[in-house]
Amino acid sequence: MTPIVVPWSWIVLGLGGVAGTVLITLGALGLRRRKRHGIESVPAADAEALGALPELDLSETASSVFHRWDPRFKIASLIIFSFVVVSLHFWPPLLLCLGLAAGASAAARTPLRRASRRLGAMSGFLLMLLIVMPVTVPFHEGDRLLLIDGLPILTLNLRGLELAARIATKAVVVALIMEPLLSTCPFSVTLAAVHRLGVPLVLCQMLLLMYRYVFVFRHEVQRMWVGMTVRGFRSRSGWETMASLGSFLGMLFVRSMERTQRVHEAMLCRGYTGAFPTTVRFDAAPRDWAWAAFWITAAGVAFILDRWGSVFRALSPIS
Amino acid sequence: MHWQAAPVPPKTFPESLVFDLEDVSYTYPGGSEALRGVSMSVAHGEKIALVGQNGSGKTTLAKILCGLISPTRGRIIFDGRPVVREELRHLRRQVGILFQDPDDHLFCQRLLDDVLFGPLNYGVPMDRALETADRMLELVGLKDQALKAPHHLSYGQRKRAALAAILACDPSVLILDEPTANLDAKNTEKLLEVLSGFSGTLLCISHDLLFLYELCRRAVVLQRGALHHDTDFDALIAHRPSLREHGLDFTFRFRCCMDSPAQDTPENPAAAHGHPASLRSTPEGCGASRTPLMELEDYSFRYADGTWGLRRLSFHVHEGERIALLGENGAGKSTLASVLVGIRSGFGTYRFRGEVVRGRLRKDLWRHVGIVFQDSMDQVVSSNVFDEVAFGLKHLGMKGADLRRRVHEALARVGLEGMENRVPHHLSGGEKKRLSLAAVLAMDPQVLILDEPTANLDPENEERLLKILDELRTTLILISHDLCFVSALTDRALVLHQGCLVEDVPTGQFLMDERLQSRYGVDVTYHHRCCRHVLAMQAQWP
Repeated sequence: MTPIVVPWSWIVLGLGGVAGTVLITLGALGLRRRKRHGIESVPAADAEALGALPELDLSETASSVFHRWDPRFKIASLIIFSFVVVSLHFWPPLLLCLGLAAGASAAARTPLRRASRRLGAMSGFLLMLLIVMPVTVPFHEGDRLLLIDGLPILTLNLRGLELAARIATKAVVVALIMEPLLSTCPFSVTLAAVHRLGVPLVLCQMLLLMYRYVFVFRHEVQRMWVGMTVRGFRSRSGWETMASLGSFLGMLFVRSMERTQRVHEAMLCRGYTGAFPTTVRFDAAPRDWAWAAFWITAAGVAFILDRWGSVFRALSPIS
Repeated sequence: MHWQAAPVPPKTFPESLVFDLEDVSYTYPGGSEALRGVSMSVAHGEKIALVGQNGSGKTTLAKILCGLISPTRGRIIFDGRPVVREELRHLRRQVGILFQDPDDHLFCQRLLDDVLFGPLNYGVPMDRALETADRMLELVGLKDQALKAPHHLSYGQRKRAALAAILACDPSVLILDEPTANLDAKNTEKLLEVLSGFSGTLLCISHDLLFLYELCRRAVVLQRGALHHDTDFDALIAHRPSLREHGLDFTFRFRCCMDSPAQDTPENPAAAHGHPASLRSTPEGCGASRTPLMELEDYSFRYADGTWGLRRLSFHVHEGERIALLGENGAGKSTLASVLVGIRSGFGTYRFRGEVVRGRLRKDLWRHVGIVFQDSMDQVVSSNVFDEVAFGLKHLGMKGADLRRRVHEALARVGLEGMENRVPHHLSGGEKKRLSLAAVLAMDPQVLILDEPTANLDPENEERLLKILDELRTTLILISHDLCFVSALTDRALVLHQGCLVEDVPTGQFLMDERLQSRYGVDVTYHHRCCRHVLAMQAQWP
């Protein structure tokens, strides 16, 4: 086991460079946002953050191969593909899947902003993995170590770094696949397909209603939060804040309960007897089978290549 | 003609009856009695106004009529058959109900699915259901929005969509609960147009008696759960003493009519009731030479999704001024209010007392500018009335005897003294509104912004609120579609249209100019016409 020794100045320069790049990017994005949309004040930003909620499907009528693909086949194939990706151990099949996912995301013609927002939401967790795992993964025979010159107590395990990078890559592949999976048809159609694939009806209905009313709930949260803010409330760490937040949550709960009852009553008045009527008809064509076969074959190839791993072990960048 | 406060026998109808209620009572599980011995009949095709004060049992009666709750005593006969459990599906198939909040009706992901929901549940084949949905969406003017998610529609559009979803079930009885609450004049007239074409039986719960005027021929008045009057609607509204007896006297609203150029009533009983807007005195010392209290200069705001909320607004507000913000739904009134209170900020300059609002001043703007929201419950976060009023005061640093004194003063100001320990959630609509006003007034703001203060209030509570607001000496900014409040409380009108300030005129001038009103979706010709008719009818009574 020969450790690689890195001068501490390199680390400082590297971290400084990363921090600088992040700050410059954030600053540029902030300026662009300010220029395009105006900025929100602190209280409103709090309220908006509380209710930040991306839409799963798109209202625009875009057209792509994923839009035309029968949702049942699309969901089954892409979920199998995602599971296979998660089970991979080696870089070459993983990179192959990453390429496919990126290609699928581009082919789905969904706005790049949506995919980047999804990736951005995960980036914090992934960054934490990349920082924590090199320090916490136990050392095994054959692991390569990285020492910082002048800082003997900090020993980094490169296998941990590689493991974290692999997990991050898998997460990116799955996140990219979610775009063609969820954004290329209405959410109600997606859930109808999910039900056809065997998921219980009650669960699908709950998801549908939850997705519909989460937007109404968000508006209520925002309005109530603003209602407190304009009377001087600011989130702090004292007992008064806890008491106010407790009342706030209690009131939200009461309002949600009342709305649930009213929605149920409105449904009963329009003939609801326990199941939503089906407005979606699925009709599988040979093209749908062909696309499903392509994705499952791709997943199968990646899986076989992965299990044939001894060949790649030598090719793996860090082994 | 005058009625005494005693139950009257139900009218007899020669036609076939849709509903026949015999001694119907309902007590909520908590023990509060909502209905007491209601007996009435409803004939096919009748148009009935179900009126009464907040908490008189109107909504409970509506729920009983559509089979959502069963009476604890008494009997209901629908289409000649007693309503029992086995008959509920038939009853619900025939009776449609529109709740106050349209979001309760729109539970699907697309508008089209919502409209299809009812017909498909009742076994209508898909092609016919699609045809019906298409027709209904066209009727309410939303055909081009069929594939949109409900949360992407405006409030007025959602209200019309909910009505389309109910009408698609082809009900023979339609019950509407406060259909015009929070709607602008344009949407109200569209709603009225759709309802006028409805040939079935109509029961409409509303405090907006002017809306009911051309729609309903019969009035059923409830008071504390009991049926007090069952008579012709015209006779009810023509008789002020009876209206006043039941807290329904809306005559105070006619002051806005008095300034109308088409006013042709020889005798006007409302003349002694209020002062026309054009005669409102301008606050002393309010002139261009003094530093304005609030000033916006070339101010714009754009939402995160790219929609313009405000575009290049420039105006100023002097201390003591009373300003109305007018415009159709979505014109930018609430966005402007949120900017003025410091919740949002965009481009341009906003000055408060001559100082640019940014940083610390924006964070502290809540100390000077108070806002009362459209829905009082958006402001209520405490478990009792005292704590609710004390909420803002505590954040101002007040405590002990001072705090208690200010809370009691504020509650007395709005007529809620003695209710300190009540749970806000259990108060009536009018009391909730006054509580939210007290919570803001207690903080003694220099500027008070009111967003649709009359929404869901009965006429008595409206009049009480009007009196409270009229007595305030603070700078007032009123956002409202209610031209009665606008004319009574304000002396200057700012008209917004698609985020732009299109008019800045004295309120009197705005009210006189029907062309101006119709151009920016604040057309109240229908209301003026009704007012004049009602005034003429009331003048005929000895």
